[in-house]
Amino acid sequence: MALGTFLALTVAYAQDAAKPQRIVSLDLCTDQILIGLVERRRIAAVTHLAADSAVSATPERAKGLPITHGVAEDVLRYDPDLVLVGPFGVSATVDLLKRLNKNVVLVPQAPDLDGVRASMRAVAAAVGEKDKGEAVIADFDRRLAAVPKPARAGTVSALIYQVGGTVSGPGSLADATLRAAGFHNMAMDYRLTRGGQAPLESLVARPPDLLVLSSGIGEYRTALADNLRHPALQALRRSRVSLELPWQLWLCGTPEVAGAVEVLAAARVAIEARSR
Amino acid sequence: MTAAGADTRMPPSMLLGVLAAVTAASFVLSLLVGPSGFGFGPAGEAGTLIFWEIRLPRAVLGALAGAALGLAGAALQGYLRNPLAEPGLIGVSGGAALGAVLAIHLGLSQAVALALPVGGLAGAAAAMLAVVSLAGMQGGAVTLILAGLAVSAICTALISLALNLSQNPFASVEMVFWLMGSLADRSLTQVWLAAPLILVGLALLLSVGRALDALTLGEDAARSLGVDLSRTRLAIVAGTTLAVGAATAVTGVIGFVGLLVPHVLRPLVGHRPGLLLPVSMLGGATFLLIADVGLRLAQPAVELRIGVLTALIGAPFFVWLVLRTRGELTP
Repeated sequence: MALGTFLALTVAYAQDAAKPQRIVSLDLCTDQILIGLVERRRIAAVTHLAADSAVSATPERAKGLPITHGVAEDVLRYDPDLVLVGPFGVSATVDLLKRLNKNVVLVPQAPDLDGVRASMRAVAAAVGEKDKGEAVIADFDRRLAAVPKPARAGTVSALIYQVGGTVSGPGSLADATLRAAGFHNMAMDYRLTRGGQAPLESLVARPPDLLVLSSGIGEYRTALADNLRHPALQALRRSRVSLELPWQLWLCGTPEVAGAVEVLAAARVAIEARSR
Repeated sequence: MTAAGADTRMPPSMLLGVLAAVTAASFVLSLLVGPSGFGFGPAGEAGTLIFWEIRLPRAVLGALAGAALGLAGAALQGYLRNPLAEPGLIGVSGGAALGAVLAIHLGLSQAVALALPVGGLAGAAAAMLAVVSLAGMQGGAVTLILAGLAVSAICTALISLALNLSQNPFASVEMVFWLMGSLADRSLTQVWLAAPLILVGLALLLSVGRALDALTLGEDAARSLGVDLSRTRLAIVAGTTLAVGAATAVTGVIGFVGLLVPHVLRPLVGHRPGLLLPVSMLGGATFLLIADVGLRLAQPAVELRIGVLTALIGAPFFVWLVLRTRGELTP
């Protein structure tokens, strides 16, 4: 029995040898996909954000992993055989690592749900876990398919309203999440075709059916969060349906996006039932 | 000023009356303009909310901040007899922003709401004292501007340090808020916090009018006319600190208003720096209200920042002023 386990482990290890074994991730989004795909011992370092519950969807899974601060010298300490970077990586650092012949893989930011699948496939291919990647994507698609569809798409509106009055417009993952949940994104009605800052007055004059706020944002000490405490917004929240959603769910193109779609779709079903 | 110029000037009471009417009209105009359309907001509950909770605080803060900046600029220029003195340029606004940033990021303003404006005026006071001790109360124009530049640079560096250390994901956007102020989506809460301190500051600054008039005759003559110079100085420092510090704590740095407004209005009052004080106060309020109306009319769906607009108008004016006074400035 013990021998069998030993043999199985040895075989598994031999198969693993061809796969990257000391992976460093320099982007919050690749951190999260990586943690979901490979064994912890193959992760050399992730960013400090991966364990930050304010931005990471899976902070508890990143606890205890070594942390890199993303500058080339710090990355080299881990002698990585794979470096995962995102679009917000410092390009000077990435160039330097490439010049040093490090295996650097850039994973683009996911602008929509297809982008989420592409990100997961890119990471899975880089770490040599294609099958596991496809399994994760299949599960993601299953969850999305199970979400109740609206009778007529885009009749119920929603707005994602954040710190400083920032709203997510078309071309963002947040917008794709809203649409996947069967909503019309109200940002378009405020002429914010690419997102931006929505004046509170627009919100009050033409409120969305559902106001989506980010939970946990109030913890930040910032003057920009004043808009979330504004009496006009508080009044709006008393008179309209609003929802606090952890923004970690759609900040990155990870399988967690499906969770955001599920919560939003449930809110839409409740609004439809009320107006019927 | 030629005699003919003096003849065409309005009597002070009439000038102030006209300016007050223009300011009041700008205030009403500011209440009428917004992304939801011209008028006092849509009918019903939404309209009430828009008028009382969104447009009113915006107009009140615009008027108060503009008045504070215009009046402080006129008082500083009159007292320092320096055409370039202005709260933004001499670092007072930067100090106020730093004080407000510290109050927020150390969590003081969460514990006691009043910590925000108090932080702003503590920062303004510190910057003011630093500049005055660097340049001296009677230092030349160039020394004062250099001292102001140094203090502003230190304040900007410390603001970015505080925002960096706070590790909040919005730090870079917040930096823009503090450096390029905004009147957008401010609430009555902020008005109540800042307004009393701004009003006390305005009253203090208005009280030095007679002293500034006497000072045009020189310090000795002013003293013989019974002007208490140290009291005048205290009133100007405290008034600027209170008015600009409290305003900046809730709007961020709005530059160049204190430079532009007194210079544009000076021809209306001639060589009477005392009269220039109330004139610049009303002019500053009008300028900021109209600029804010312009922003909302030009691009109703996107919030442009008022500090960007005042800098776009004020900075070229500053260049022109430097060119005009170059002869006087060269040592």
